[in-house]
Amino acid sequence: MWEEARLSSAIAAAAGIRSLFEGYDPGTFYDEIIGPDGLPRPECVAMHDILAGMPLDVFEERRQLADLSYLVQGITFTVYSDGRGTERLFPFDLVPRIIPRNEWNVIERGLAQRVMALNLYLQDIYGKQRILRDKIIPRSLVQSCKHFRREMMNLSVSRDIYVHIAGIDLVRDSRTGEYLVLEDNVRSPSGISYVLENRLVMRRTFARAFESSEVLPVDHYPAELVQILRSLSPRTGERPVIVLLTPGLYNSAYFEHCFLAQEMGIELVEGRDLVVVDDVVYMKTIHGLTRVDVIYRRVDDDFLDPLAFRADSLVGVPGLMNAYRAGNIALANAVGTGVADDKAIYAYVPEFIRYYLGEEPVLRNAETFLCSDPVQLKYVLEHLPELVVKAVGESGGYGMLMGPSADKKTIEEFRDRLIADPRNYIAQPVIPLSRCPSFDAASGTMSPRHVDLRPYCLYDGEKVTIVPGGLTRVALQKGSLVVNSSQGGGSKDTWVLRGNEI
Amino acid sequence: MMLSRIADSLFWIGRYMERADNTARILDVNYHMLLEQPPDTYKLRWDPLIAITGERTRFYQRFEEANAQTAFDYLGYSADNPNSIAQCIILARENARTIRDRISRELWEDINGLYHKINKLRDEGEGLSRFCDAVKRGGHRFHGVCEATLARDDGWHFLQAGSAIERAEMTARILDVHYHQLVEGPAILNEARSHAWVAVLKSVAAYEFYKRQNMHIEPMRVAELLLLDQRHPRSVRFNLGILQNSLYAISGSVPGSYANEAERLTGRVHERLTYDSIEEIFAAGLHDYLEEMQAACRNIGAHIAQTYLYYSVTA
Repeated sequence: MWEEARLSSAIAAAAGIRSLFEGYDPGTFYDEIIGPDGLPRPECVAMHDILAGMPLDVFEERRQLADLSYLVQGITFTVYSDGRGTERLFPFDLVPRIIPRNEWNVIERGLAQRVMALNLYLQDIYGKQRILRDKIIPRSLVQSCKHFRREMMNLSVSRDIYVHIAGIDLVRDSRTGEYLVLEDNVRSPSGISYVLENRLVMRRTFARAFESSEVLPVDHYPAELVQILRSLSPRTGERPVIVLLTPGLYNSAYFEHCFLAQEMGIELVEGRDLVVVDDVVYMKTIHGLTRVDVIYRRVDDDFLDPLAFRADSLVGVPGLMNAYRAGNIALANAVGTGVADDKAIYAYVPEFIRYYLGEEPVLRNAETFLCSDPVQLKYVLEHLPELVVKAVGESGGYGMLMGPSADKKTIEEFRDRLIADPRNYIAQPVIPLSRCPSFDAASGTMSPRHVDLRPYCLYDGEKVTIVPGGLTRVALQKGSLVVNSSQGGGSKDTWVLRGNEI
Repeated sequence: MMLSRIADSLFWIGRYMERADNTARILDVNYHMLLEQPPDTYKLRWDPLIAITGERTRFYQRFEEANAQTAFDYLGYSADNPNSIAQCIILARENARTIRDRISRELWEDINGLYHKINKLRDEGEGLSRFCDAVKRGGHRFHGVCEATLARDDGWHFLQAGSAIERAEMTARILDVHYHQLVEGPAILNEARSHAWVAVLKSVAAYEFYKRQNMHIEPMRVAELLLLDQRHPRSVRFNLGILQNSLYAISGSVPGSYANEAERLTGRVHERLTYDSIEEIFAAGLHDYLEEMQAACRNIGAHIAQTYLYYSVTA
């Protein structure tokens, strides 16, 4: 392996080509591709060599082809700052993130365990509330959660599944090389379409690398999901009618909604396409009303039903909650799952795993301070410049303080907010995220950039299925630790290699 | 099973693409015809174009006179003109985007590609001729991609209906406006008349077809082709026939009957276009006849919407 790496660089050098990896310095962070000895990790050699031996102009050409394929398909988001609505691409970096099989097996076990525990917790919270009586988690913390839905108390959901789809954010701590869970997303996590599209583009762009690397496939995701949705139908004996409910064209994940509906062969609907008559949900077709059985909803709880939740919602379906209560419609994910992915509740998930499953967590949480606890709040206030502070109900990198890079004024603003509403915040020490080589257009070479990983988990009531890999998000700005697309992040294809076991 | 909203989008994709294509055609033909005309006639010859698109009021609020540049600005790119070519393509694309899970990937990529193409031409400052050419090619490709990649389900028929109704209305309007100008217009245009009728024929891609059957350019024969011809794909009659077939396919009605008001009106207009002769139409007044055709198209459109797309549900 080592010889080969040298060889390809040598060939490149002999041909007078400047290697894309020339001068690459992994630095003090854990690098996903290059090992501490400065050579590619064993599982990354094949891909590394292809890239290292590739002249800049060839790489550039492939990069443009990849960009073009996103543009042609309209996988863009719109920026309205210039008045005309310019469409931008979500940046895609051609260097894949590669995960060896043995590491993936651990991740998979850890995520499955976590998703099971989150479901048991939700069943319990909206049912008997054993965990509150046993004082594993403070009652006040759960009931003060913005996404706790009283309407869901003692409402039976189809097959007792609350979280059918979860996206769980992992990071690798450079100090230990360990994967940590940073965040659970169990409301309506997005991004899976990028996993599937990135793979499609990579297969076209680097066909040769796939031949030599044995990458596990990801494209069975829609088939797995639709099978779960089908199993939820309250009408037995009939072929279930399944729809994906989207807020509409102007939602930033609209492309994904279309993509998934099409891949699953289900109808993509907006709120205005649905109507509830006598607690039954129908969609309006050119030949009249057609009954709907299962809704994969990508609309938040708040906007789902203007009669039950926010009255000003224009994207919801009036009367939907009544139909849900009557058991005439199944929703995935269930209403009220936000009480499981609140960032303060997150701190207790390892306890859930011990309490409900009697197991030790396979994947640890990142160290977290709950500002609702006076002792922890005191520590946080004293150490603000070293911490990352997050609002508990937000996602997408909003409502966040990056202590080390924030100016004094911002830190003081957050101090006031923390004191005013401690329940709304948590704090974590800054984790030195691992890095992955990424193409830097300015220098025309590879540069290390920080990455995270969001695998997508599907739960059918018995087992958890996880698409190998997931979405690797990359902070394309030099030095940045924020990977969210709304904050200048991009994405990468993620490869789990077949390895020795099948 | 087809959602009303999706049928609505397909209907409007058909309409907007047709509108963009027709507007590019009349703009292009007019421009090239005028290259060989005395400059005095310029003003007189751009105004009808604005009239065809039904945009006179808004246009003259913005511009003092209609010439090649102002007409191109307004009909080509203007965001103030809801019927400009660029706006039509933007709206067709928005509609396609909302239903991209229901159309072929090829069709979406084609419409999206056209959108990016015209943006690029604008950014490069490309002139009228190349722009119109791109839009016309886009229109042809659109029909080709539809024909080759879409299933012949209800959605297909809504798309066909939208495109046919728009084309019928446009052809009627082109004829109407030019007929006014050419028969009743100022004397300065006399020598240009036969040129102008050639332009009309070319703008609906019917010049070659006309010449195969007629030695000379005669207004009545031109009108006959544009209105009553059974074979030419841009004639009013031809398109009412397409519309009628699509409506039958959607409702399951058989020829000779009707299931709703849209079908009844379509059948009636199509009958007339089949059995009226051009001599009778001229005797009674072409303008009135064309007005009636355009009104019928609008009416049919409204009834399609009421029957299939925006019916009310009592909860």
